[in-house]
Amino acid sequence: MLAFELVAQGLIQGSIYALVALGLTLVYGLLRILHVAHAALFTLGGYVGVLVCNASGSLALGLIIAAMVAGLGGVIMFRLAYQPLLRQPPYVALIASIGLFIASEEAFRIIFGAQGMSFTNPALQQQVAILGGLQFKLAELLVMLSTAVIIGVLAWLQARTRVGIACQATVSDPQMAESFGISLRRVRDINFFVGSALAGFAGVWVALLNNLVEPTMGSVPSYKALAIIVLGGLGSVPGTLAAALLLGVIESFGTIYLGALLDRNAIAFAFLIAVLMVRPQGLFARR
Amino acid sequence: MKSHSRRISLVAMAAAVMAFSTTPTWAQLKLGFNVPLTGFAAADGKSALEGAKLAVEQANAKGGVAGQKIELVVYDDQATPKEAVPSATKMIEKDQVVAAVSGSYSGSTRAAASIFQRAQVPYVVAYAIHPDITLAGDYMFRVSAMGEVQGRGGAKLVQNLGKKNVVLVTLKNDFGQALAAGFKEAAPKLGINIINEYEYGMPDRQFGPLVSKIKSDNPDVIYASGYFFTAGPLVSQLRAAGVTAPIIGQEGYDSEKFIEIAGPASEGTYVTTSLDRDSDAPATKAFLADYRKATNSGADMVAAASFTATAVAIEGLKKSGGKGGAALRDAIAAGSYDMPIGKLAFNDLHEVKKDIQVQIVKDKAFRRHSVISDPVLLAPPSKAK
Repeated sequence: MLAFELVAQGLIQGSIYALVALGLTLVYGLLRILHVAHAALFTLGGYVGVLVCNASGSLALGLIIAAMVAGLGGVIMFRLAYQPLLRQPPYVALIASIGLFIASEEAFRIIFGAQGMSFTNPALQQQVAILGGLQFKLAELLVMLSTAVIIGVLAWLQARTRVGIACQATVSDPQMAESFGISLRRVRDINFFVGSALAGFAGVWVALLNNLVEPTMGSVPSYKALAIIVLGGLGSVPGTLAAALLLGVIESFGTIYLGALLDRNAIAFAFLIAVLMVRPQGLFARR
Repeated sequence: MKSHSRRISLVAMAAAVMAFSTTPTWAQLKLGFNVPLTGFAAADGKSALEGAKLAVEQANAKGGVAGQKIELVVYDDQATPKEAVPSATKMIEKDQVVAAVSGSYSGSTRAAASIFQRAQVPYVVAYAIHPDITLAGDYMFRVSAMGEVQGRGGAKLVQNLGKKNVVLVTLKNDFGQALAAGFKEAAPKLGINIINEYEYGMPDRQFGPLVSKIKSDNPDVIYASGYFFTAGPLVSQLRAAGVTAPIIGQEGYDSEKFIEIAGPASEGTYVTTSLDRDSDAPATKAFLADYRKATNSGADMVAAASFTATAVAIEGLKKSGGKGGAALRDAIAAGSYDMPIGKLAFNDLHEVKKDIQVQIVKDKAFRRHSVISDPVLLAPPSKAK
């Protein structure tokens, strides 16, 4: 009974990780940049979601606008911060990214205040009892459901549409893709937009689950998502997805049974070290 | 080398003496204030600063101290020791403050304490609760109850509520651990049974697994330490999962923001704190009204404690005639104070002895529930032990 609940809680947390880490892995796959500032877009999504939802009373509208704004924010970040650095070694972009992340945390604090923001009327707080007496917030169930739907749709788009195929081609060989008439610039923009929109979308869900957005809410996801994409085998979308869910469940059990030994946020890294010792290429990467 | 540095310090001293002797009469008395204005504790820092500013404004409106206006010299310490040390040094060396007030957390206040002690600058601490702070020396003062004392008060409240089986949820920093230590010390004496204790970290906001485990523990009451930004999500998630046991929090919950975050789930939450919103005491009523007028928001414990610490330092200055150092230390130590957080007097370790206010969330506001007044159980540590 407790075990089921812990698995379920792990999957909820894992879904959030998946949404955040997917954008990161898309960027890494395409540009080999470790995009730490990605988590700032997660926070941005949270703020926009709360603001829109409080003004309009519609969570759906909040989710959509937050995803759009975060997506645009991602494209702007790429154009202004990363594009000029593409010819530099990867650590230059990494440093820029860390700087950008710290600056955005403080910008959120200056713009939205240090106190954080909450929904005036948080939606989806009803309790739902499902089979076997498990009890959840409606919002928790919808996090899992919407993550599954969105990732399914994205996988389909990537496999079946021209844009998706262009993306895949660019990842595997950018020069070849360009010579076939694919616009690299457009593919990169789309990648940043989609990845960042997912982070923004996740930000609204986390805001709703905690009923709190704070300037620093991205700090844990920023580095944990890095651990996840390494676990998943850098740049692998299905690997990232599996690693995110697995880590969620491991953390869920770890919090209870290892909590006295190991901080919850250290579990991800202990797991990462253990995996890298056995499989340096990550859990799910093919050699 | 040694004689060289001595010469420099002689020159510095001569310069300082000259600076003091040429100080014109309109000069301001500088009061240092370290407070987290950025970083994770910035929300508490804002309340603390408003409280301290109010105390200074009120004192200046009444003519200041010994004909001089008081100036609050504010440093952002981000609630971290690494920022607190240079801030304290600057206050002493550059600003030459007569006294300083901590409106910050234990981590930074502990680090600053020894620096102020060495410079013999009295340091009045508002709400940092670590025991080491007053142990730094006789220039340290604390206006709030130490963590261990508050933890014992929490155990007493469990007994008063007629409950027996407790789950402890402890925030893994010196605040949470001091509270837990006090609670665990008092629990056996009061017939309280601790079923389990869980720890969580400062960045945690999602407590799903913890909540599931607590639900299966089925306690009579939950004693959870934390700040409003961790406690708000925790309480809301416990209630959403169908856990109905009463929840006891502490000073860290004491913010209107807690009620805003946890929403209806916050109703019925107990908080052991030092500010009684339903107090009849004139000092408390006046403070609550003045704070609302000045900031357009309700006061919380942090604001009240920072106001108190600042006002205590100012009252000390009035008695010492604006002098700092040993004169001010003795003036502060000898005084008794009627403050928003109650009537205060310092013991030989410069800790205060006072009752613990129990507030309960009712209709979206903190209301008086009871007062824990047990001079033996709530005795602050003194030099004797």
